[in-house]
Amino acid sequence: MSDTIISERTEAVTGAPTGVQSLLAGRRGRRIREAILAYVLLLPAFAIIFIFGIFPLAFSAYESTLRGLNKLVGRYDGMGNYVNAVGNLAYVLGFWLAIALVTLAVRHFARQLEVTRSHDEEPWLLALPAFVLAIGSLLFFRFFYTFLPLLLGIADQMRDALRAQEGEPGELFRRFLIENFLVPEVQQSFWLAIGVLILATVLTVVAFNKSPRSIRNGSYFAAFFTAFFLLLLAAALGWFTWTEIERAYAEAFEEGEELAIWSQLVTISAGITLLGLAWWVWNGADEWETDRRLFFRLGAMVLLIIGGWVLIAELPRAAAGGDEDWYYGLLNTVWYSAGSIPIQFTISLTLATFLFQNIRGKGAFRVIYFLPYITPTVGAAAVFRVLFSGRTDAPMNALITTLGFEPLGWLNDPTGLFQLLLGDAVTLPTWAAGPSLSLVVIILFGVWTFVGFNTVIFLAGLGAIPSALYEAASIDGAGRWHQFRHVTLPLLSPTIYFLTLYAVIGTFKAFTHIYVLRTAAALGTADTASVVIFDAMKRDTRYGYAAALAMLLLIIVMLLTVVNNRIASKRVFYG
Amino acid sequence: MVENVPSAPTQPQPELHPATQKVDLGHIVIYTVLITGAIVALVPFLFTISMSLMNLTEATGRALLPSTPQWSNYIIAWEDANFGEYFLNSVIIAAITVSGQLVFSTMAAYAFARIEFPGRDFLFALLLSTLILPEAITWVPNFITVAWLGRVTPFQWINNWPALTIPFMASAFSILLLRQFFQQIPDELWDSARIDGAGHIRYLLQVVIPLSRAALVTVVLFSFIGSWNALAWPILVTTTPDWRPISYGLLSFLDEAGAQTHLRMAGAVITILPLIIIYFFTQKQFTEGIATSGLKG
Repeated sequence: MSDTIISERTEAVTGAPTGVQSLLAGRRGRRIREAILAYVLLLPAFAIIFIFGIFPLAFSAYESTLRGLNKLVGRYDGMGNYVNAVGNLAYVLGFWLAIALVTLAVRHFARQLEVTRSHDEEPWLLALPAFVLAIGSLLFFRFFYTFLPLLLGIADQMRDALRAQEGEPGELFRRFLIENFLVPEVQQSFWLAIGVLILATVLTVVAFNKSPRSIRNGSYFAAFFTAFFLLLLAAALGWFTWTEIERAYAEAFEEGEELAIWSQLVTISAGITLLGLAWWVWNGADEWETDRRLFFRLGAMVLLIIGGWVLIAELPRAAAGGDEDWYYGLLNTVWYSAGSIPIQFTISLTLATFLFQNIRGKGAFRVIYFLPYITPTVGAAAVFRVLFSGRTDAPMNALITTLGFEPLGWLNDPTGLFQLLLGDAVTLPTWAAGPSLSLVVIILFGVWTFVGFNTVIFLAGLGAIPSALYEAASIDGAGRWHQFRHVTLPLLSPTIYFLTLYAVIGTFKAFTHIYVLRTAAALGTADTASVVIFDAMKRDTRYGYAAALAMLLLIIVMLLTVVNNRIASKRVFYG
Repeated sequence: MVENVPSAPTQPQPELHPATQKVDLGHIVIYTVLITGAIVALVPFLFTISMSLMNLTEATGRALLPSTPQWSNYIIAWEDANFGEYFLNSVIIAAITVSGQLVFSTMAAYAFARIEFPGRDFLFALLLSTLILPEAITWVPNFITVAWLGRVTPFQWINNWPALTIPFMASAFSILLLRQFFQQIPDELWDSARIDGAGHIRYLLQVVIPLSRAALVTVVLFSFIGSWNALAWPILVTTTPDWRPISYGLLSFLDEAGAQTHLRMAGAVITILPLIIIYFFTQKQFTEGIATSGLKG
């Protein structure tokens, strides 16, 4: 930023017409030098983040289509792992993910169209190279997925060659790399991708040169590219799901079994569409006058009920045949999330507001509250394992027996909380029995750990609220509660939004303390999704299956982020 | 309008009237809540220290304090339970990870904060999007990558420091935190540095880094916590105790030591203590780093 200011300034000072040419060259030269410097600075961090943070996404998607135990390269199994995890719901998910991608592309496109209209520009020439580039990128992915198994196979080839003492490791690696790269299929997909990418580059340059100056900033091109890329990705995903369904039917036919994938797909899709329609009608009702609005709302309710009923009836049937451990893992994650976040936020918001008052020892309190957060998780969890052990003499049981209660099993108790509160009178089904007592202890651990972190961040947010607002409110006769409700909360909403997102994602990622705190006696009632994935990989060495579960978890986390963002865009107030 | 209103003296204004408050009911409630919170936060620590000094009967019984402190518990845990080795492993792993992350994140954050280059917004969005990825999605692919690298490169990755450190030498979180901080440095400093003939590298080393102590300390503490806490990944990539870090060491000791609660607690203290010490030395900069880094949303 400041950079351009300076160069423009110098240009203005030495703005003699003869010097303009060389100055422009010098300015452009410095631009390029600066860009190169930036890339060099970014290189190490991005190399690591790419290899171990972004590339794993594509790798995991690939790995999730393989079956095989404890091997670098397994046998191709299409959506088999997903079907093992969530039953026929996997196919529904595939199609709806494709539809979501299409929606995303269309929205992207529409937004850009609006800009086009308001600026009265004609960027359509850029659409063609963007389309070709999108195809080229997908072809490159195809090359990647063709080459990847061969690349992984080099490890085995090298082991055999080293055993046979055919040469030095470095030399062997180069030899096998070239050999595998020269395999006809790889070559074909590689040159196809490269060819299309080169074509796209040429077309891009031509299109940019033919376009008017105003649209050369690349934002149109990026928008077109993203939209086309998403569309093509959706097409690929839809096609993949389609062939997988066909394959499943073919297999079922051979074995003389009945399959209901299509009917389930249609019914569930209808249910989801009805729900979407209900949402749309409900929101659309605002545009009409009062008596019609009621009519629309009623219609929306009817749609909602039918859609919901269809889903409730059909979802369990489609999901049958999935992995129960995984379902309970997800349920436990939801319990953990829903149990710990509200408690955490209530406590930390209270503590932060109180700490913000005029009191002594503010710093000391803050240091103490933050202590649990910086405490090493395994160490703290080890302590909780002792405190909340099921033994009668364990500290927590000693405390409650002194107070006159019966000792509890705590971490060893798989009984659901609601069941425990109801007593033996009623027997709730497992899914409705609430978080097990074991999971409740884990929730307490989560609260204990994160309250301090949230408090410190809330404090920083409170510090940013101008005190003049409180003065104005108190002049208007607002008491403490009204000040909190109408000044503090709205102005704190960006902080609350950030922390909620962080906490929700955090609870869905949570692993370490749950892994340490779970006990055999809790019968898996404390295993959240991450723990189930870890077990699938480490204990069962089902790498492909674990990768598929992780992809499902990722989809859920992404969905939660989108929902959170939508809510935030309506509720968050950026002063 | 708002600015012209005189302040109302009777309202409990935050930070406006230092130490002149009268002890009213509100303050009693506030102090009670705050002190209760502090006690809840501290009790597990007190229990840990107390139990780590007990003998076996006291630790499994109902005693609150040891009759005579058994300092030998720490020696037994350190020597017999291998905590010395785990501790050393973790220190080495954390040192490599933290220094790598500090250097690489500073470089990347500076590029994002102060240089304009093509693709900046795209790369930044890419970086942001990695923040929501669950760790679980990296387990399978990264394990395979690391196993593969160990077989095709001359040095071992699994059961060795590279697998435990290299994947964590860069973190999107640290880059974001530092970028936020670097952006708050006034542009005038860069202008005057430029006039003095300084390039980006000199400006970064001589102006930006000295000004960003708090943010850098925050990054160090966060990455140290991350490294010290790592459990899933070390379980996956260490099959022998040779490079087992302390978290994993403590976990396996918890399962091996069974009923020896006092030794387990001594192990927990050995695991926890280093971070507490580092925290107490850095907490001032740390609090400042969090408050100014835009983490608050």
